[in-house]
Amino acid sequence: MNIRVLSPSGSAARAALGRLRTFGTLIGFLVVVAFFWINLPTTFMTLPNWLNISQQVSMLAVIAFTMTIVMVMGDFDLSVGSMASLAGIAAALIFRDGGAVASGVLIALLIGLVGGAINGFLVSAIGILPFVATLGTLTMFSGAAFVLSGGETIFGRDIPAEFSSFARGGIPLGTVGERALVLPNLSLVALAVLLVVYLLLEQTTLGRRLYAIGGNAEAARLGGVRVRLLRQIAFMLTGVGAALGGLMYASRVASANPTQGGGLMLDAIAAVFLGMTLSEEGEPHVLGTLVGVLILGVLDNGLTQMRVDSYVREILIGAIIVAAVTMSSLEKRKR
Amino acid sequence: MIAIGHECNAQRAPRALRLCRARALRYIFGIMFDPRPLLSLSHASKSYGGSPALIDAALDLLPGEVHALMGENGAGKSTLIRILAGVVAPDHAEIAVGGAPVVFHSAADAFAHGLRFIHQELNIVPGLSVAENIFLSQPYPRRAGALVDWARLNAAAREALAALHIEHIDPRGKIARLNTGDQMLVKIAGAFAGSLQNGGETGLSAKGGANLFVMDEPTAALTGAEADRLFAVIARLKARGCAILYVTHRLDEVFAIADRVTVMRDGRVVAVKPIRQTDSADLIRLMTGREISGVYPPRASPLSSAPLLRVHDLRTAHLAGAAFDLRAGEILGVAGLTGSGRSELLRALVGADRLTGGEIRLSESAALGSAGSKSGDLHITAASRWDPTAAWRSGIAYVPEERRTQGLILSRMIRDNVTLPHLGALSGGGVTLRRGREEAAAARLGEKVRLKARDPRQTTRQLSGGNQQKVLFARALAGEARVLLLDEPTRGVDVGAKYDIYAVIRDLSARGVGVVLASSDLAELVGMCDRVLILRDRRLSALLDTAGLTQDALLTACYGPGESS
Repeated sequence: MNIRVLSPSGSAARAALGRLRTFGTLIGFLVVVAFFWINLPTTFMTLPNWLNISQQVSMLAVIAFTMTIVMVMGDFDLSVGSMASLAGIAAALIFRDGGAVASGVLIALLIGLVGGAINGFLVSAIGILPFVATLGTLTMFSGAAFVLSGGETIFGRDIPAEFSSFARGGIPLGTVGERALVLPNLSLVALAVLLVVYLLLEQTTLGRRLYAIGGNAEAARLGGVRVRLLRQIAFMLTGVGAALGGLMYASRVASANPTQGGGLMLDAIAAVFLGMTLSEEGEPHVLGTLVGVLILGVLDNGLTQMRVDSYVREILIGAIIVAAVTMSSLEKRKR
Repeated sequence: MIAIGHECNAQRAPRALRLCRARALRYIFGIMFDPRPLLSLSHASKSYGGSPALIDAALDLLPGEVHALMGENGAGKSTLIRILAGVVAPDHAEIAVGGAPVVFHSAADAFAHGLRFIHQELNIVPGLSVAENIFLSQPYPRRAGALVDWARLNAAAREALAALHIEHIDPRGKIARLNTGDQMLVKIAGAFAGSLQNGGETGLSAKGGANLFVMDEPTAALTGAEADRLFAVIARLKARGCAILYVTHRLDEVFAIADRVTVMRDGRVVAVKPIRQTDSADLIRLMTGREISGVYPPRASPLSSAPLLRVHDLRTAHLAGAAFDLRAGEILGVAGLTGSGRSELLRALVGADRLTGGEIRLSESAALGSAGSKSGDLHITAASRWDPTAAWRSGIAYVPEERRTQGLILSRMIRDNVTLPHLGALSGGGVTLRRGREEAAAARLGEKVRLKARDPRQTTRQLSGGNQQKVLFARALAGEARVLLLDEPTRGVDVGAKYDIYAVIRDLSARGVGVVLASSDLAELVGMCDRVLILRDRRLSALLDTAGLTQDALLTACYGPGESS
């Protein structure tokens, strides 16, 4: 879009344009939806498909929502993908050794908490840049997942039905023809995490202080915010979120593999970035992240149905992320 | 600053005399030749999103004059300068350079017409050398067609610095290693480069034509001696027939160097006067539109004798020992040259730097909240956990030196900034936000400090400098603080806001708050404080009573007994 050509004609047009750019990503999302609706008239805009999408994005959503917590502080966590793999492996190993589902899940979440605590310690107490610190732990967690699993996929009888049926289950909504409509459990988990992160970031003093750190960490410290402690807590929450995402993934595919979470990290960061383009000051917001997650999920779903090659799909998704962030950077530079 | 205007002039008598002579000469010249303005701007208007920032403004710059441009923050000075610089397109404006009408489409146009700008903010490239920064906006001299001729570039930079009598800066050194004052001097040298030396063989002939200089608060980051160097350069430019538009909030500078003054208010030019026909009170009245009698409100109530804060041999990595008492209601000044430890003393008190020795005692009545719940004084030593969080909780409020980098979270609302240290008390059980309560507090405190803002939910970035500083004051007032630590509270703040801030400080003092006021503005220290603490070489060197204290005596004390300047 050429902004220069449009803008000098009156302030009303300019104001409308400004609003367009703040909501540009949202409008882009609606355009994408409309595109698929037109091209896939019978299958895309149906309740079963949307329930399906909600399940497909639920793992990514949980990781992206909790990633928003550290990104609000202006930090990153690159280790979430390998933490998701490690958590899945850890739970599967406990199941294989005859452990109860509850204990496997709890220990996996605990590993997420400890991993997040290591990230937090490196970033806040030692003072390593988050990018470098979590790049290091990404490799460590990934290596640990390989060592624990012996590099193999754990599946079949080792995974108890009680665990894998959770992902297949859900709340019945009624029936369409022969098929039962179900709101998947995984989607419910994602909604619950969304609610928790929303309340945490937007309705508590902790969230307000995290935003303050992201705006200006030194000013926040001099203004009485315990920056180190809060940074530590934020990374721990992100770690738990990553472990939860990994468990959901393992439940859905009824197996655990040391690389299965790997792709989630970049998508999660991309979703937060897409969401940031929605806020005027360019701050992350968990509802923006939701829009980002939905954009990625809808594109994936629609393009798959249109039988677009998966590599072409990646090019398209990458291009859309670059376009959205470019728009919001241009907007910022104008100010 | 008003009360001491005469002392200032007395101090600068020799130069003032020289200026008078020059002025008289030019006056006679003016009658004989009626000099055409080097630059004239008229009917300049500009609105941003419907709200006018500049309304039919006009400005003439005559050859050989220093023209002061004054006005409160938001009066339209910046917009006017940006139009001259070609970076803002006016809705309407007529600009003539040397009598010929011109249109500035870009910064390059303004540059080509001989305009040079020194902006308030440092626009430096930290990774480059001093010489590279000086000639940043020009093509570097070449050798063999494509290679940069570093020897010539460095020689030209050395010459540009020498023109300002700056010998202590190496043009080959990285600019990032210099302190802020020196960086500013380099930028100033860059703007002047080529306009001072008479046909110096630098090979950088492209910059010969500069004869209009626009300086936006160039002395904000400079020490007195550095500022004097700048004034000497300005005098030489004047003598060569250049015109200088000088923007400042400091009245003493205006009376020291300006020939004429243009005053702006609410987007309009309200007065253009020769400097001889005005005085401080007149300028303040023109800028603010209200009568302000005496910038420094007098102490209303007698000082109590109850000590609030006792500091003994305080040490950090940046402070080598300071001891003093602060009484309830007292305003204690902290003076010293740049690098003497003024800010560092305040940082030690608020726990921003870790204590390495000494102790702070906060009397029982002063210590509030959790820290004061146990009986007895709050006693802080190097072994205590003492950080800004503990300080705010104990009733110590802090306004840091740099409001943009240390004070405010510019991306957040006024409300968030005001309540940040007090969130615990303003929330539900320290956990859930109570936005209504926060906004009510922010609105009430904003009114107290005369904050001009639409509502508490406005983004702090959108406020002018003076109003941003008021946000920090509102924050400091929010928690019923008993001790207030102020570091350069009025730097870069316009006269009206300054007066409001002084009134707030006085009011707090009258209610028993102890104030520690660190400042490089000697007039402010003499005008506001009961006693002044002098720091030298990062340690306490003297404690003076301000009764009968003059700025000269204070300055002498800052330099120390051995080396009075």
